[in-house]
Amino acid sequence: MQAAPNRGDAVKYAFIWPAFLIVLVVTLFPLIYALTVSFQAVRVVPPLPPRFVGFENYETILSSARFWGSMWTTTIIVVVSVVFQYVLGFALALALHHNVRGADLYRVTFLLPMFLAPVCVALIARMIFHPYLGPVNDALDAMGFDYVPFLTEAWLAIGVLIVVETWQWTPFVMLLMLAGLQSLPEEVFEAARVDNVPAWRRFVDITFPMLLPLSVAVIFIRLIEGFKVIDTVFVLTGGGPGTATETLTLFAYNEGFKKFNLGLTSALSFTFLIVVIVSGTVYLLLAQRLLRRYA
Amino acid sequence: MSHIRFAQVTKAFGEVTVIPPLDLAIEQGEFMVLVGPSGCGKTTTLRMLAGLEAVTSGTIAIAGRDVTHARPGERDCAMVFQNYALYPHMSVRDNIAYAMRVHGVDRATIDRKVADAAELLGLTGFLDRKPKNLSGGQRQRVAIGRALVRDPQAFLFDEPLSNLDAKLRVEMRTEIKLLQRRLGTTTVYVTHDQVEAMTMADRVVVMNGGIIEQAADPITLYEQPANRFVANFIGSPAMNFLDATIDGGSVHLGDQTLELAPQDETRLGNRGAVTFGIRPEHMRHSAHQAELTFRPDVIEPLGAHTLLIGHLNGAALIAQVDPRFPVSVGENCTVPVDMTQAHFFDPQTGARL
Repeated sequence: MQAAPNRGDAVKYAFIWPAFLIVLVVTLFPLIYALTVSFQAVRVVPPLPPRFVGFENYETILSSARFWGSMWTTTIIVVVSVVFQYVLGFALALALHHNVRGADLYRVTFLLPMFLAPVCVALIARMIFHPYLGPVNDALDAMGFDYVPFLTEAWLAIGVLIVVETWQWTPFVMLLMLAGLQSLPEEVFEAARVDNVPAWRRFVDITFPMLLPLSVAVIFIRLIEGFKVIDTVFVLTGGGPGTATETLTLFAYNEGFKKFNLGLTSALSFTFLIVVIVSGTVYLLLAQRLLRRYA
Repeated sequence: MSHIRFAQVTKAFGEVTVIPPLDLAIEQGEFMVLVGPSGCGKTTTLRMLAGLEAVTSGTIAIAGRDVTHARPGERDCAMVFQNYALYPHMSVRDNIAYAMRVHGVDRATIDRKVADAAELLGLTGFLDRKPKNLSGGQRQRVAIGRALVRDPQAFLFDEPLSNLDAKLRVEMRTEIKLLQRRLGTTTVYVTHDQVEAMTMADRVVVMNGGIIEQAADPITLYEQPANRFVANFIGSPAMNFLDATIDGGSVHLGDQTLELAPQDETRLGNRGAVTFGIRPEHMRHSAHQAELTFRPDVIEPLGAHTLLIGHLNGAALIAQVDPRFPVSVGENCTVPVDMTQAHFFDPQTGARL
């Protein structure tokens, strides 16, 4: 009788183990190590022996106004800038898709911001919005307005951060939405044109729903990426004035590399991870309900 | 007055002219099929009528109104596309109702029209399905339903059956034809399939290289093709073409002589070189019969009849004979030729003599 594949054959483990070991070493080990650290009091300066403290680090974080402040700041920056990125990116993609004159040139120029290092972008933005030396205030001055303290006033600084994030990441959204637009079947739109459906209805009823799955994915990527924002904030405002523009990652950085409070920093990282996972899941659940109506 | 009229319409893509001046008149209620090989300009012609391609020069009129520069939506045509072009995120019901909804038709009318169309096309059980959950034939029926609820001036079909399997194609062919008869809507139908063209059309336009080779009813196309291209394109298997000379009331094919039918003899006289055309199915007994001897290389029994495929004087030759015709591969055989069905073409211009 022809035997079924031998389930006891030990050689199959030889094929599984290398991959499993690599995953274990590169991904799981650091993660688990960080998790254990988050339950300990670890200080590098002054060096103290690690001490198990249970959930103390997490309690400290959750009861810290600075944490909730950074959470709020991050959420505002991310949500508002992603909304702008999506709307502007989609609009630009539509414009390029419909073959504006010189679309090729625009396509390249529009992508440039995405290729720049966020640190450079932040440095340039810092110059542009400088209270006394920046061209924005020069222009306001020339028009007879007062100087605006863009980077030293909490709400203005957050506004500038939103502008910089939007400027840098709109091209990413545009690129993906343009690819999505170009993958849509042309005949569907021709059918709508022949049926005398006006352009705006074609967008609302056909283009937008057909690109909804892509939109959900693009926004998801931008939200996750956005939550990790640190370089721009670090260079542009350093989290100031005070901690008014401090984002979660910058908060973690300050705790870890300025106070060398590694236990608390690990706990903060995990709190951050939980925040991202929870908000990501909520977003996807909501998106799923929306998609089920269309797809 | 004709319902749709192309007057001196041309189309050029950059330097390349794909449609030289084209004139075509389609009558009210007529089922007109544009047929031709790939790249013959039939789809471009249809898309110009729909307004999806701009006309380079000339005018197009629908129901007496010049629509040359009108937007597609202003022309009141309904189009069915090769890939169905259904809205993938809408149910069958929404697909059919969408255009009416956009134009503010009241709910009761929409519901009635959708129900009627679904009934007519056998889609009643599928109204709440999405296109991806339908078969190819059902999708095409939805596309047709979407067109017919609009009560347009004209239906435009762009190779609607080419994505369907052979059996379904034959069924849909009949359905579309019946539907058009019932509705009496002027229809322009593009296909590369001559069988589809012949079976469905009131009138067939055979196109080649942007030029109309012949526009006529199917039987005229078959019996009196205007030229060698039409003769070759219409009919399956295709007509045989052999170099011949006409002299003294007979056709000379190499060393074989076939006597002309009396009406051809008076019409043609002594011609010298011609192209002799005979359809495989006309190699049969008749009152004015000649005989042709050739050597078949392949024998294809199809049941109802048998095809003998071989060569004569270097040209391919196919004969359609009775299944019990005595023949074997590689041996000369003599088949009858019905000379009343013979065609003669000018070897230079290809025009029928």
